[in-house]
Amino acid sequence: MTRKRLSLLAALALLLPLTGCWDRRELNELAISVAMGIDKSDNLYEVTVQVVQPGEVTDKRGTSGQVPVTIYQAKGVTIFEAIRKMTTVSPRKIYAAHLRAVVFGEPLAREGIGDALDLLSRDYEPRTDFYLLVAKGTTAARALGVLTPLEKIPANKIFESIQTAEKAWAPVRAVTLDEFIGDYENEGNNPVLSGISVIGDGQAGETKENVESVRPAAQLQNSGLAVFRKDRLIGWLDERESKGYNYAVNNVRDTVGHVPCPGGGHVAVEVTRSKASIRGSVKGGRPRLAVELNVEQNVGEVQCRMDLTQTKTVQDLERRSEQTLEEIVRGTIEAAQRKYKTDFLGFGEAVHRRDPGAWKSLRSDWDKHFETAVVDVKVNVKIKRTGTLGNSFKEKGRE
Amino acid sequence: MDTHLCFQSSLQANIDNLRSHLNGSDDLVVREFRIGDKGIPRKIAILYFDGLTEEKSIHQFVMEPLMHHAEPQGGGNESDEASLLDRLKNSVLTVGQIHKVDSLATASESLMGGSVVVIPDGYAEGFHISLAGWEQRAVTEPTSQTVIRGPKEAFTENIRVNTALIRRIIKDPRLVLKSRKIGQVTKTNVSVMYIVGIVEEKALDEVNRRLGSIDTDAILESGYIEEFIQDETYTIFPTLQNTERPDVVAASLLEGRIAILIDGTPHVLLAPALFVQYFQAAEDYYHRADISTLIRVLRYFALFIATLVPALYVAITTYHQEMLPTQLLISLSAQREGVPFPAFVEALIMEATYEILREAGVRMPRAVGQAVSIVGTLVIGQAAVDAGIISASMIIVVSITAISSYVIPEFDMSIAVRITRFIFMGLAAAFGLYGIFIGLIALILHLSSLRSFGVPYMAPVGPFSLKDQKDVILRANRRNMKTRPTMFGKRDPVRQRRTRNRGRP
Repeated sequence: MTRKRLSLLAALALLLPLTGCWDRRELNELAISVAMGIDKSDNLYEVTVQVVQPGEVTDKRGTSGQVPVTIYQAKGVTIFEAIRKMTTVSPRKIYAAHLRAVVFGEPLAREGIGDALDLLSRDYEPRTDFYLLVAKGTTAARALGVLTPLEKIPANKIFESIQTAEKAWAPVRAVTLDEFIGDYENEGNNPVLSGISVIGDGQAGETKENVESVRPAAQLQNSGLAVFRKDRLIGWLDERESKGYNYAVNNVRDTVGHVPCPGGGHVAVEVTRSKASIRGSVKGGRPRLAVELNVEQNVGEVQCRMDLTQTKTVQDLERRSEQTLEEIVRGTIEAAQRKYKTDFLGFGEAVHRRDPGAWKSLRSDWDKHFETAVVDVKVNVKIKRTGTLGNSFKEKGRE
Repeated sequence: MDTHLCFQSSLQANIDNLRSHLNGSDDLVVREFRIGDKGIPRKIAILYFDGLTEEKSIHQFVMEPLMHHAEPQGGGNESDEASLLDRLKNSVLTVGQIHKVDSLATASESLMGGSVVVIPDGYAEGFHISLAGWEQRAVTEPTSQTVIRGPKEAFTENIRVNTALIRRIIKDPRLVLKSRKIGQVTKTNVSVMYIVGIVEEKALDEVNRRLGSIDTDAILESGYIEEFIQDETYTIFPTLQNTERPDVVAASLLEGRIAILIDGTPHVLLAPALFVQYFQAAEDYYHRADISTLIRVLRYFALFIATLVPALYVAITTYHQEMLPTQLLISLSAQREGVPFPAFVEALIMEATYEILREAGVRMPRAVGQAVSIVGTLVIGQAAVDAGIISASMIIVVSITAISSYVIPEFDMSIAVRITRFIFMGLAAAFGLYGIFIGLIALILHLSSLRSFGVPYMAPVGPFSLKDQKDVILRANRRNMKTRPTMFGKRDPVRQRRTRNRGRP
């Protein structure tokens, strides 16, 4: 009896190795791809993948002088095919779970990126924490070919610099796949993506010399926001408009702006807190839209003569700031209404929430209604601190 | 040969019979001489085993009185035959433990226990006098369960010394010791100690029943008894605790547990034993409650590391790379560049190497210790990584695991943890995290199914008892430890009442 049981147990135990390990991959069998670029040429998708050479990134035993990343490129009718096809040039299978960024070439973006996104959202492998970007004025392949200093892996540099810029400068927006799809599916909204551009000599950026020089020949720069109508790129917002966009959609955490002084010169103000809300309602079949913005600021730099110790001066500065901010936000709304005739700020969504009944009749041609809608912008600014100085030291010298 | 043979009245016959009963062992000392018995010289013999008795005492308290003072002092009227024996016992032999003996079996048994047998000629009776004394190790510091603060005595191989060490801590008539002999050949003295009124009678009966049913020729160490009386044979987890510290035994007795002392070993068994007790060190109760609690948390964390970290490393790096932060993944895969083995084989090699080194360290002669440790450190630490055979991160994993397994205070439990570690590594290599979780579920089911002398092994966590949580992960303040653990101390639950003096004037 025990013999029988033992042999049965042994037989069961032998089943374990039989199953093999179908999903098992050793770390050194992975081609860790950190960025993917998607372009289109001759009706074929051209996929560019930036793969890390781990030994070159972290090795302390002395690198062999290779570049930290390498690029694989393949064409295919579908993206999935193209990626698999890369095994013809790559010794390892592309591993996409650690994607940091997916970059679309501007030509493809203008054609529409919806189809290209299907694989990324359908496949189980990629985590959904990577950022979507558009390569401004160039192809994704070019943008991914630039080597970067400080962050050895260019994809990491893209990822980090978007995060940092979003936190500290404002005119960029880190958009993940889920956010993009959410905005796309939302009838009262349209997606935006951050743009990335190559400044300098892109060709030279692909060699190791680029990171060996103090002033790299080519650099990657975050540049404005790309406005989409559904999945099609329709244009770009400049820095000021991008900033206005972020103010309006409540995506400003910390930024610096400037306010003109009464007698010439400027005062730089640091925004420390910004809270915005977009409202929409329907009155008599016409949408009434509003943006309300509450901002707290510190005075950061004074380049004109003003007496900051006086409450009146500070109040005056607050009024001027409000005016400036209103202009910025209005500029963005203007661009949405006149230039692109597209609601990418989510006013439609606000109307939908406020008045679902009225939204039903508006939604079919919302963009038309949006174009002609009146938008109120209300800005309220509080200046909290003036830094470690009261008045400028120049001011003191004159007293 | 009839072992129940009685003494005869001829001294020579008795000596011959005893000799042949002991199969003519040469270390039996037989000393014959004459004593005066009312003027008539009478032959008398003393027998003992060389080395088991205190010879000096024999000379001083047995032979000298017999030779010089056997003659009755004042005018006596003791003329009947029995009176010689009584006289010797009552007024000649100046010894404590003296008993009459009249059978060969009793005589030989007491001889082997270190007694001296005195047989006068012409009587079918004699005495055995307990004068046991032999070379033995002194009470020293514990070697495997050391403390910084707390008593530094450890048990020895002598059961009498051991029982005395416990009695010196618990001075109460309710502390009871019951002895028995186990082992047909070794006739090992096994004693059960408990405190009447606190101990759970059921568990005590169970211990006695199981001890009584042991039928073997030899008991050489507590491990023999443990394997005979444990609840479950096929488990890697110990269900009897062993300790070499008298204070631990005393504390356990006060909790209502039972101590089993075995002659010839410094390890005392404690029953019942629960899972959580393997993570309680004696010192927890001597240091302040706060640090003891923190250290217990640390121990459970170490348990987690020692059981699961190599398995998690294998599972995550071969199945779930997406769970790692990108930077970590890149740095790990940089280390793995050029490593020829799969992570599982790599882990197995390193764990096996470590186990070999550990085993060699325990077993090797002290003199070569240095050499082995140097080679071991170099092989494990430096060369394997430099040669690119093993990745540096694997060394880190194996080292932290190895060290963590020794944070568990009881060696028995750290053995169990080491075995489970290998099982989990196998599961991780075959099924990834899925396998680890299946394994964890199985492990918890197994642990919950175990019992130690009727008490659920996972108590007071398994069957949850809020009251007993004061001494599981927490080590409550002494003032709040008012009751004994309900698992074994139900009969007299209260340890202390209100504390009056709160330290205020």
